[in-house]
Amino acid sequence: MIAHVAWRLSRRAAVNLWRAPLPSLVSVLTIALALFLGMSFAIGLAFARSLLVSWGAQASITLYLDPATTDDQARALLARVLESEPDADAVYVDRAQALRRLRVDLGDLAGALDGLAQNPLPPTIEVTPRGSPEPAVVRVIAAQLQRLPQVAQVDYGREWLDKLTALGRSLRGFGLGSLIAVLGAALLVVANTIRLAVYARRDEIEIMKLVGATDGYVRMPFLLEGALQGLLGAGLALGSLAAADRWFLPRVQQAFVFASGVAAPQILLSHALLLLGIGALVGLFGSWLAVARFLRT
Amino acid sequence: MIQLFHVSKCYPGDAPVLDDVTLRIEKGEFVWLTGPSGAGKSTLLKLLFCADQPTSGQILVGGRNVGRLTQAGVPFLRRNIGVVFQDFKLLENRTVVENVGYALEVLGASDSEIRERALRRLEQVGLKHKATSLPLRLSGGEQQRVAIARALVNEPTILLADEPTGNLDPGLTDSILQLLFDANARGTTVVVATHDRGLLSRYHKRTIALDKGKVTSDA
Repeated sequence: MIAHVAWRLSRRAAVNLWRAPLPSLVSVLTIALALFLGMSFAIGLAFARSLLVSWGAQASITLYLDPATTDDQARALLARVLESEPDADAVYVDRAQALRRLRVDLGDLAGALDGLAQNPLPPTIEVTPRGSPEPAVVRVIAAQLQRLPQVAQVDYGREWLDKLTALGRSLRGFGLGSLIAVLGAALLVVANTIRLAVYARRDEIEIMKLVGATDGYVRMPFLLEGALQGLLGAGLALGSLAAADRWFLPRVQQAFVFASGVAAPQILLSHALLLLGIGALVGLFGSWLAVARFLRT
Repeated sequence: MIQLFHVSKCYPGDAPVLDDVTLRIEKGEFVWLTGPSGAGKSTLLKLLFCADQPTSGQILVGGRNVGRLTQAGVPFLRRNIGVVFQDFKLLENRTVVENVGYALEVLGASDSEIRERALRRLEQVGLKHKATSLPLRLSGGEQQRVAIARALVNEPTILLADEPTGNLDPGLTDSILQLLFDANARGTTVVVATHDRGLLSRYHKRTIALDKGKVTSDA
């Protein structure tokens, strides 16, 4: 009996969808647009996040040591740094080596250094965190290293990292807000479309209830119809995303040449299933809202 | 089968539509419910199939107190009550056999069972040959026969009819009433609301008269 009823209700949902193609199309397109925009935001955010992380990883931490620090003390300190930060590479740059680097960097102007009575550069330890740590992690490492003896100053591009962090936070907030807004709009459109469908079939519903249909039985075709619209919308959004992934994203990646090494996010099967699930839920919930209000009245 | 105890129905600002109505209808009875327009006949029928709630008083239908039914319990009560309206209430985009089978769909019957029982019921009302027609292609009398077939298809114990012949030519009235008498003869309790005094004089059955919401006679 359950199989009969399930089959009949599913068939009715499909027929109803077919009988009112225009409102259904509006719902499907709205859901598709909302999910496409939402997923694009998510992909954009993931890409921006990878970018920020890669930039954060490039910011190495330089420990400026007290000029009076001897080579032995500096090497002992290097050993401590490596011990306390196992996920980072570190090298000791003595004063002479620092001066040689400066000469190379100055190029033709290096002769200006000949007039110096003594080497003014302090010895340094350069620490590069491995992997792609978040800016916040880099900040914590720098704060820990600042406390070591003989360390006079720590430079880790703090301002730059703070800006990156703020940018990342803003992007996340904006993306989440936009996602909620577009999904909310889609939900309302579906609810209104289904409400129109419910209104158009009010006589049928009245008769259904008259002959003893439960609220669940009355509601089910509309819920299935909403879910079907959601699935179709999600399918359309997935198709559009796949097309963008194939033709549009490679060009974007080429434009971001400075972000080499940061792979553009891929649409995985799990993403597709998530999108289909969200689409079905949006359709289902929109229908529920529309029918619940009608059944109450 | 049907009992009403001091039932009243009021809408704010208006005189009571039903005023302290107490009556009892036995199983298998045929009852005319009569009175002028606005007497409360339709309201009384609505209370019986839970389309409305009384303001006060108790109603028992088939031994169940409808005032104590939960929202979820109402459909199950309605499956034992067939209802026929003056305006037929048929679905225009469904065929005659689909309209009749509608009452069986909600019970979870299979497609073949629905079709078989709906056709059998259409045969009883003399419309089997119109099974695949749309309701608007039928005459008023035929549409009302389809509505009666739908009301009876799941063999309810009670049949309520609200002015079932009100929209029909006098010549069709008898054939429609005969279907209701046939249902009654098979054991169904039938309550027919009508303001047509001619019917009451032609067919002598128990008659409950209402006026301004009160029972004025019961004979």
